[in-house]
Amino acid sequence: MSDTLQPLHTPIKRRSFFQYAGATAGATALVLAGCSKDNDPTTTTTAGTVSLGTGDVGVLNYAYALEQLEAAFYAQVVKTPAADFLTGELAYFTQIAAHEAIHRDFLKAAITSAGGSLLPTLTPIFTTINFSSRASVLNAAKTFEDLGVAAYNGAGILLKSQAYLTIAGQIVSVEARHAAYVRDLLAPGSFADDNQVDATGLDKQLTPTDVIAAAQPFITEKLDASTVGK
Amino acid sequence: MKLISLLDHLAATPASSSAAPRRDVLAQLGRAAVAALPLALGALPAAAATQDSTLDAVLQLLQLERLQAALYTQGLAATGLIPAAQTADFQRLLSHQSQHIAFLTQTVQGAGSTVPTAPTFDFSGRRNAAANPELFPAVFTNYDNFLALAQQIEDLGVRLYQNHVFNIVSDFRLVRAVLRMQSVEAQHSAHVRGLRRSRGATVSNWPSDKDTVIARPAAAQALTAAATGGEANVLQPVSVSTTLPSASIFLVRDNTAVQDAALAEAFDEPISTAVAQAALNLFF
Repeated sequence: MSDTLQPLHTPIKRRSFFQYAGATAGATALVLAGCSKDNDPTTTTTAGTVSLGTGDVGVLNYAYALEQLEAAFYAQVVKTPAADFLTGELAYFTQIAAHEAIHRDFLKAAITSAGGSLLPTLTPIFTTINFSSRASVLNAAKTFEDLGVAAYNGAGILLKSQAYLTIAGQIVSVEARHAAYVRDLLAPGSFADDNQVDATGLDKQLTPTDVIAAAQPFITEKLDASTVGK
Repeated sequence: MKLISLLDHLAATPASSSAAPRRDVLAQLGRAAVAALPLALGALPAAAATQDSTLDAVLQLLQLERLQAALYTQGLAATGLIPAAQTADFQRLLSHQSQHIAFLTQTVQGAGSTVPTAPTFDFSGRRNAAANPELFPAVFTNYDNFLALAQQIEDLGVRLYQNHVFNIVSDFRLVRAVLRMQSVEAQHSAHVRGLRRSRGATVSNWPSDKDTVIARPAAAQALTAAATGGEANVLQPVSVSTTLPSASIFLVRDNTAVQDAALAEAFDEPISTAVAQAALNLFF
C-alpha cells in the first residue's frame, strides 16, 4: 500500500507553519508523554504473530494498525472508484482518504517520536470487497468507520499520557464524522442509529482484542492486541 | 514527579469498579489533585493553567446538553419547520441529548453535588430581554437558519467534550463516557452538515476551511469562535517540546501533496472552557 509514497519536502506552506506555531503553544494540552511509566513496546514476532506492544506505545501501534487499514482501503477506493458512485462521492472519499493517511502518518511519527518500536507496514486483504460496486464500498467503509470509532472509544482509558488521550479524542470525532457520512449515504438518517449508539446515548466501544479480532480478516499479519495498554 | 505517582495510582484502579471510587474522585481529585497537576509540570501553556475541576467540567457539559435538547425540543415543536422526512433525525438528536443529560445529572448527584436549575434558553440571542438585539433571526421559522445554528452548537459540543477529556482524566468512568458522548456529538454535527449541504450550503461533514462561513453579527462571534475557531490548526502536541506532524514526516499520495485543508480536517480541535462559556452565555 505504501509503494507510491515518497517524502515530501515542503508539505505545509511556510506561512501556515509560522501562523500555527504560535497558536499551538496556547492550545497545547497538558503533556505527559515523557512521563509514561511503561513506554516500551514489544512489537516482536513470536510464532508468526505480531504483538502490538504494551503501554501507551502499544495503544498507538494499535491505532496505527487500524489507520493503516483504513488508509489502504480508501486509497484503493480512490484508485479504482466504483462506477456507480454518485456525483461528489469520489471527491468526498478522496478527502477521507487524505484524513486517514494523515492519521496513519501522524501515529507513525508519534510512535517514532516516543522512541517506541513501530508496527511494520501491514498487508491488507480486501478480497471480500468489490471496489467496483458502490454498495460494497459503502458497506466496507461503514464497517471500518464504526470499528474505528468503537476502537478509539474503548482505548482512551488505556492511555496514560494526557496528550495522547486528547489526540485520541480529536481523531475519534473525525472518524465519527466519517461514519455518519457513510451511514447517511447508505440510508439517509441512519447516522448514529441504535446499532452504533446505546440506549444511554453512548457510542459503541470495544476492547483492543475484540477490535483486532474483527479487523483480522482484512490483515495478512496475525496481530496480538492482548498487551495493548498494559 | 507527583504526577507520575498519581497516574500510576489511577492506572492501577480497575475501570470496572468505578462506582465507589468515582465519588472519591469527584470529591478529592477533582478539586485538589487535578487542580495541582499544572504545578507539578512547571512551565505550562496558559490554556492548561486554568484547570477545571471534574465537577466544573461535568456541569458545563450538562449546560451544553440542556442547550442542545432545548434547541431540538423547540425545533420539533415549531409547526412547519422541520420537513417530515427529517423529523425522525431530530427526534434522535433530542433523544441522545436527553440521555446525555440523564447521565451527567446522575454523575453530579452521585458525587453528592446539587444539580443546578436549567436556565430558560433563548435562541434569538436576546438573552430573555426583548430590548436586546436579535442575534439569531428566524431560528424556528426558517429551516436553514435552524440548521446553521444546530451545526454550530453541535460543533461547539464536540470541541467542548474534547476540552473536558483533559479535565476529567482522573475518573475512568467519565473519560470513557465523555469519549463516547463526544463521538455521538460528532455524528450529529456531520449529519446536520450533510443536511445543510443537501440544501445548497457549501459545507463539509467536518469543519473545513472550504466551508462557507456562517454569517453572524459581531455580537454573536463568540458562537463562531466556539464552533469552528482554530479548526485550521494543523499541529498537535505529543510532548512538552514536540508537535506533530513535523515537516519531515509528510508524504505524498499518488504524487499529490497532502493539502493544508486535509491536515486541519483530520483533527477536530478542543476549545477552552472560557471560549465555550462565552458562546453558551449567548443563549440565556
